[in-house]
Formats: sequence, structure tokens, C-alpha cells
Amino acid sequence: MITLSQRLKRKNDSDSGIVNRAPIRDRLLVKEAQEMSQLLPASCSVQYHNENDLSKFTLVVQPTEGYWEGGSFKFDINVTEEYNMVPPLVKCATKLWHPNISENGEVCLSLLRRHSVDGMGWSPIRRLNDVVWGLHALFTDLLNFEDPLNVEAADQFRYSKEDFKSKVTEYVLSYARE
Amino acid sequence: MADENDNERIDENQRPDKMFTLKKWNAVAMWSWDVECDTCAICRVQVMDACLRCQAESKKDSYGKQDCVVVWGECNHSFHYCCMSLWVKQNNRCPLCQQEWSIQRMGK
Repeated sequence: MITLSQRLKRKNDSDSGIVNRAPIRDRLLVKEAQEMSQLLPASCSVQYHNENDLSKFTLVVQPTEGYWEGGSFKFDINVTEEYNMVPPLVKCATKLWHPNISENGEVCLSLLRRHSVDGMGWSPIRRLNDVVWGLHALFTDLLNFEDPLNVEAADQFRYSKEDFKSKVTEYVLSYARE
Repeated sequence: MADENDNERIDENQRPDKMFTLKKWNAVAMWSWDVECDTCAICRVQVMDACLRCQAESKKDSYGKQDCVVVWGECNHSFHYCCMSLWVKQNNRCPLCQQEWSIQRMGK
């Protein structure tokens, strides 16, 4: 017969072998979540999925200028147990037309790259605040579309700003209304 | 003038009667760690304290002391050894300056 005490004992035995980083993440998150909310860009807001869990939240970006103005774009952010040795996992939950975000929601942001080739990827000195500002910048800085995720959108941006603008607006009206 | 007055008073009262007397004084000493950066940029705890992980696990060595040492790189940046050894497994660069990481010294 399996009793609770046996189960707990076995659980403790198996836990001792692997290094569990969750308490480190949770301690870091207490400070970082506070810092993030204090320094949040004006066009952004944060919604926690569960008030007792700081590791899963949605960032909503509502640009007030630029191509994506008027849209409401949601990013699901998951801070995994290995944080801050690895970046948070970020997925865009709103379909949009953007050179650096695929239509499936994958986000191309150097900061979120786990393995950095050029020294621009994740580093443990980064904080949630940097991630938020990085995502926010995807809607303001139209500078680096050298390595796009949505090649069609990047080409369109390069060759026909008008077509790009109307396609962005079409997507905003269809998928990103508040 | 002041000296003359003092001398006169000493003669009169046989003891110095000064304008100011020091009744109490507080000594203030300043100190700082002899490292360039006193906070571990990885876990954001002072490098001279135990790192976040060691605090969480309250790791002690056989003498009952916190066994969490500091490591300095050739770039002069310092971190907890525990924090840095986790990071170099993924990327052998200093998180602060992105230089190739090589250990200059270790200790407290």
C-alpha cells in the first residue's frame, strides 16, 4: 500500500538529486516584478494569470503611434524554473503583421535568444524590465529587420511601405482590436 | 589677544577656562570592499554574502560557515563562484562585458 508519508519520502529522495532552481527564480521574481511594474512603458500593461504566481503573465502592448497604432497585442510570458540562467519564454498571442514576429506568435528579439552568437543574446544580468522594454521597442524602432521571422513582411516593408502599412492595419482591425 | 586673555585667566583662576570645551565626540569610519563591483550581477546579492542559492539552501561547510566564494575574472568583474559556474556552462563569457571568461582568482 502506498501511504502519503512514503510518497513524500520518495519525493524528497528524488528531489535531492537534481538541483531545483525554482526558489532562486521566485526570489528574483519578487524584486523584478516590482521593478517591472514601476518602470512599465506607458503603452504597456501586465496581467497575472494567478495572483500567487509571478512567473506567468501577459504583457499587453497598445502602441499610441507608428504602424501598429490602435492595436492591442498580447504576449504570454513564462519565466521558467531555470531563470535567470535562461531567458523567459515569450509567445505573441495576437496575430499580427510584423517582420520580427511570425504569424504563429514566435518572437525574434536578440535579448530572448538563449544561445547568443554575437554577445547580444540573453545574459543573467538582464531583468524582466529589459524584456518588457525590448518587446515594447518592436513597435517603435523599425531599424533592424536584417534577420526577420516573417520574411514576406520584411520584404514588403523594404520595398513598399504603403502596402506594408495597409496590411498591418488590416491585421490590426481583424485580430488586434481591444 | 586671545592668548593674552587666556594667560591672564590661568593666572587668576589657576586653571584654563576655555571658550569651548569638548564634552562628547563621535568617530565615524568609512569602509568599502576592495572589489570594483560589490554586487553579484547574476543573483544581485553582495558578493561577500552567500549567493541567493546558498542562502535558499542554507549551505554550510564542515566548519559551519557559509561556503560560497567569490570569483574574479581576467576582466576584473566579480561574481559568486556558484552563480558563475552555472552561467559558464551555457556561455563562457562574462555577463557584464561579454569578454571570454577566464578566472583570475578566487576566494573571499
